[in-house]
Amino acid sequence: MLSTLAEAFRLVAAPDVLLAILLSSIYGLVVGSLPGLSATMATALLVPVTFYLSPIAAVATIIAASAMAIFSGDIPGCLLRIPGTPASAAYTDEAYAMTRKGEPELALGICLWFSAIGGIIGTLSLILLAPPLAEMALNFSTFEYFWLALLGLMCATMVARSNPVKAIASMLLGLLVSCVGIDNPAGTPRFTFGSTDLLGGIEVIPALVGVFALAEVMRSMTEPEPPKMPRRKFGSLLKGMWKLTREYPWPQLRGNVVGIIIGVLPGAGADMAAWVSYSMSKRFSKTPSKFGTGHPEGLIEAGASNNASLASGWVPSLLFGIPGDTITAIAIGVLYMKGLNPGPSLFTEKASSMYALYIIFIIANIIMIPLGIVMIRLASKLLSAPRSAIMPVIVLLCGVGSFATGNNLFLVVTVATFGVIGYVMERNGYPVAAMVLGIVMGTMVEQSFVTSLIKSDGSIWPFFSRPVAAILAFLTIAAVLWPVAYWAWGMARQAKMATQRG
Amino acid sequence: MLVGLGAAAAYGGSLLPPVPGQQIGPNVFPMVVGIGLLLCGGLIAFGVGSTLEREAEAELAAHSDQPAPETAHSPLMNGAKTLLPPALLLAYVFVGDALGFIPTAFAIVLTVALAMGARLRLALPLALIAPVFVHLVFVKLLRVPLPPGILPMPW
Repeated sequence: MLSTLAEAFRLVAAPDVLLAILLSSIYGLVVGSLPGLSATMATALLVPVTFYLSPIAAVATIIAASAMAIFSGDIPGCLLRIPGTPASAAYTDEAYAMTRKGEPELALGICLWFSAIGGIIGTLSLILLAPPLAEMALNFSTFEYFWLALLGLMCATMVARSNPVKAIASMLLGLLVSCVGIDNPAGTPRFTFGSTDLLGGIEVIPALVGVFALAEVMRSMTEPEPPKMPRRKFGSLLKGMWKLTREYPWPQLRGNVVGIIIGVLPGAGADMAAWVSYSMSKRFSKTPSKFGTGHPEGLIEAGASNNASLASGWVPSLLFGIPGDTITAIAIGVLYMKGLNPGPSLFTEKASSMYALYIIFIIANIIMIPLGIVMIRLASKLLSAPRSAIMPVIVLLCGVGSFATGNNLFLVVTVATFGVIGYVMERNGYPVAAMVLGIVMGTMVEQSFVTSLIKSDGSIWPFFSRPVAAILAFLTIAAVLWPVAYWAWGMARQAKMATQRG
Repeated sequence: MLVGLGAAAAYGGSLLPPVPGQQIGPNVFPMVVGIGLLLCGGLIAFGVGSTLEREAEAELAAHSDQPAPETAHSPLMNGAKTLLPPALLLAYVFVGDALGFIPTAFAIVLTVALAMGARLRLALPLALIAPVFVHLVFVKLLRVPLPPGILPMPW
């Protein structure tokens, strides 16, 4: 234990890792604070760079960049009432109300301080939750994995803030994409239409870059430029934070716990956590009428929640290869590439790497405070860069970056295609995150499904006869039936209202 | 609004069903997925769950302060602008090898910047500097073989 910990510190203390953390932190802060560029996009564009780093440095860049981006998304939210990332959207109004009251320092200070605390508590949950779950998961067979993957997919569709049927459709679309190619249990080429490029299947990373980065650029093409940030001087940012920490222990705790739970749920990430926490804070507050007028309570709870969800999103990702959110969906691709294949054995065989990961998380959340203060002070200067100068470079990076993941021009075609798919889906209310989950997990679902069927000689019974499998199966089926039940309930209510009126 | 949503749902539904359930060896999984998509397409066409969607949209609209998308341009123009980034990437695939990275990237950056309304004074230097910088990082630091084409860089 102690020697592994020492080994982990040695891994993190390597100069390339420390440099990677610092540079990607700055990168994450800048990208997150630019409206229209999300934390997921920041991560997606980092991937080609991680290919050329050592495994620990690669993971470190993702962790640091995503944590910083989620925090710095709050900056334009506070100052301009435009969320820098979707994860800040839930409490942008609240933060801006504070700025209007003449307290931008307080709003930004709360975002920074409680983001960092939320991130650290989220990391603690990862440290505490993952090892016992890993021990349990060692006993899992393909039956359990099948249900777990399916449950993950269904969770992602349930929590999507949209039509559950459309979410399921997106998820199935993603599964269909994962079917393409020869990489299936039987090794038969599927849906390749005679193309050798499609034979290798559709690469996950370029598809994600397309969906998250290129589609975002496409959207910004027709949107008006956001307003400029007014220049202003800030007073002390951390003044009064300790007092607030003691004043609102419950909202903080609740925000962190909700963030952790939502982070663990597959597909639901920081934006979901912030929405849920903000509305919960309002419901349980002693003074709900103060919400929306620049009241710190909701800001504390939701600001902590979205950062807490980041770390706990790694729990299912590391244990089962089931992404906890869209950021870890990308991270899983990197983990495979770096030989840190997700699975319970990761915690026994590569324990030092796991400890290193925890340490990186904590370091990232601690240096968030000084770097964040610098960023806030520089924000008005940095954010004056016009969007028409940033987006062209991002298009270029989408192309070159995805090319770099395999030195194959077909990957650039993949980016372009998925950019269009992502844009069209988003426009029509199909949650993109569900599709991404389908793409990432398709192979796993199919593999475990087919292997289980072969093991059981085509019988369905063993899928339900093992105790853990049975529980997971029950949960999955309940999740499938939920939209149907909701629909039936709505119909019944409508019928009742019609009879009452008539 | 309702009609638009219904049309989009029907359109989505009409897109989804033609999923081939393959009959060769590993057909089980695509078939299951295909049937699922078919069912979803049908449900969406019937408007199941659209109330939930509207609720979410209303909540989002209440929270965001974004002005409605600009209507100064014609929808056709907007569509063309939207499709510009992927189209340029495809162009990169086709002419990148012949022209080389720097000229192609120059064209991409310049076109996107101008399409987004940047003035030439900003777009031109950006299009000159950004490709060289990207080239430097990817070729020199990351050793990605970008096509040299007609304008090889000195490194």
